[in-house]
Amino acid sequence: MTRHASSSAALALAASTIVAFAQLSIKPALAQQAAAPADAPLDVHELFATTCGWCHSDGGRAAGKGPQLMDTARSDDFIRNRIKNGKEGAMPAFGQVFNDSQIDSIIAYIRGLKPDQG
Amino acid sequence: MLRLPSSLARSAALAIGATLAASQAFAQPVDTARIQAGDANDWLTYHGSYRSYHYSPLEQINTNNVSNLNVAWIHIPGRSTRGLQSTPVVADGVLYYTGSYSRTFALNGATGEVIWSYIPELDEALISRQTHSPYNRGVAIGDGKVYVGTMDGRLIALDMKTGKPAWDTKLVDSAKLTVGFTGAPLYAKGTVIIGAQGGEWPGRGPIFGVDAATGAKKWEFDTVAGTDEAMKTWGNDSWRTGGGGGWMPGTYDADTNTIWWGTANPAPLYDWSGADFKTQGARPGDNLYTSSVIGLDADTGKLKFYHQELPHDTWDFDSAVGEFLMLDRDGQKLVVHPNKSGYIFVYDRNAGLKNVWRITQNSNFVKDIDPKTGELIGRRDFAAGKQSEPLCPHISGGVSWNSGAYNPKTGLYYKLGQEWCMTLTVSKTTPITAPQVQLNIGADFKIAPPPSGEIYGHLDARDPVTGAKKWEVRFPEPPLASVLSTGGDLVFVPDSRGTLHAYNAETGAELWNHADGTGHQGGIVSYAVNGKQYIAVTAGFGGMASDDYAPTFGGVYKSMPRDDGALIVYSLK
Repeated sequence: MTRHASSSAALALAASTIVAFAQLSIKPALAQQAAAPADAPLDVHELFATTCGWCHSDGGRAAGKGPQLMDTARSDDFIRNRIKNGKEGAMPAFGQVFNDSQIDSIIAYIRGLKPDQG
Repeated sequence: MLRLPSSLARSAALAIGATLAASQAFAQPVDTARIQAGDANDWLTYHGSYRSYHYSPLEQINTNNVSNLNVAWIHIPGRSTRGLQSTPVVADGVLYYTGSYSRTFALNGATGEVIWSYIPELDEALISRQTHSPYNRGVAIGDGKVYVGTMDGRLIALDMKTGKPAWDTKLVDSAKLTVGFTGAPLYAKGTVIIGAQGGEWPGRGPIFGVDAATGAKKWEFDTVAGTDEAMKTWGNDSWRTGGGGGWMPGTYDADTNTIWWGTANPAPLYDWSGADFKTQGARPGDNLYTSSVIGLDADTGKLKFYHQELPHDTWDFDSAVGEFLMLDRDGQKLVVHPNKSGYIFVYDRNAGLKNVWRITQNSNFVKDIDPKTGELIGRRDFAAGKQSEPLCPHISGGVSWNSGAYNPKTGLYYKLGQEWCMTLTVSKTTPITAPQVQLNIGADFKIAPPPSGEIYGHLDARDPVTGAKKWEVRFPEPPLASVLSTGGDLVFVPDSRGTLHAYNAETGAELWNHADGTGHQGGIVSYAVNGKQYIAVTAGFGGMASDDYAPTFGGVYKSMPRDDGALIVYSLK
């Protein structure tokens, strides 16, 4: 997934995000937004801005508390296992939050990371 | 024990000097009156006393002999995942402190001998899903018990003499809300007060009052929309996932039976409202009582007063710093409270604003804060997208959650400032609340140097009310630990590289330093046993701020462990 710097692109992403997170049981506070099918794709760009980005800086492009993910030499299996089970004191376990298909989306996002052109 | 007013107790302690009485011989139960009196030999609360000075009047270790300071003993708590962030407390020669996972120890303050230890059984699967975890920042003592919070949402009371649990009360549904307790509790007048984590975690950030004798919950105050008035400041029902919390211990004003507490930021951390934050964005409105200082009745938890330091905080510069200096100056009773932004707020005892000053050089989230009204002048409210100008300070703040020190002898406030910024791209997000609550940041960001040059930190000696600076010492990387000042005219700064420094409190001249082997990010206290003064400091690096140091600064931080720590105690040879 490429980085979208313009506000219109960001808005478009946000709209798709509502779809993506519907399966994560959004609170009633946002119930005015349309419901979405449970098999909707995960918007990983928004996921990084929501949860992952504090440690994986700049959307995963730079090292922070967590390692740089762009151009990582780790295998898909390694990344999948780390997302599911975490690492004590370093990364939370997300095995109960994301299903295998969603984790595949996260891996695809990581593999597609390019330097920020913005 | 004769209960002296604190000033008299200090004078007595100074007169006794090197022949300080053996405090254990006069052991009396720790209660609110004793904490209020503030015996010089002890360190009875997280902040040292209800005055929150992080100051010991002991003067056996002083400017003339600090060069003879040596390690007296060391304690290794084990399993120090993300280092040690705890501040010890001391009563009657016994030191109580915690490590990660709320491991709690009672040690002989003179020898380090373990009197008892308590290693709670925690929900490890839950903890593995947390981010601001598994550190613990300390205990409270009172009514014959030691109180410690846990990351799985419990407050536990241990018998002070044996370490055996007296009660264990579940306060937060951490399995659902993900967060629990990392901060130390506060003991006051038969009540134990503790605030939950929150901030960027969607929830309502409760603060609890618990009966010290029985463990029964007496009251709960939601820092998000905790009153009808506050509910109106959260548009679109955004209070349901508002964040808030009060994750550091505040203090107690016995004159008015009031708990002072600082509250955390709203969620998401960054909002895309643009300038019209009252009606637009993720959480339209001022978002009371986040990023505020609040006063609660100690018996009922009812809100008595508040001042929202940052209405609609969209920078994660919350008020959760638990440091409330209680000053008496020129006939006025004042309270000094640092905000994470680096602005220092001065109040009267009803949170009426008296002054605002700033400790940081690099700050652009607002142009200024009006010192008379508290109005944020020229605030930066973001629209979604990449921000052209870096945001200063960095998300780790202009000041740390750790505390400075006020020395009543010099009249100076010794406080660390942090100079760093961050690039920021704000993104719309949606709160995740099932199957478990997850962080809600609202942006991607990266640490960046300030416009003035390199990242650095500085210890300032300032007037706590006016902010007038007397001297400053700079550090190449911001120190993150608490500061201690003593009656020996000393200021101790445990730095991030792992060196403990002692400075002349009047001049800032460095008089002594010692390597503790790993970075500091916890507390430092002083106490006396059998006439001998000790300085106790926790060492051990790792956590939300310090985890950035290896990629940012390299050098010693690359090899610094983030799963190790020790309590190191010094005395004169």
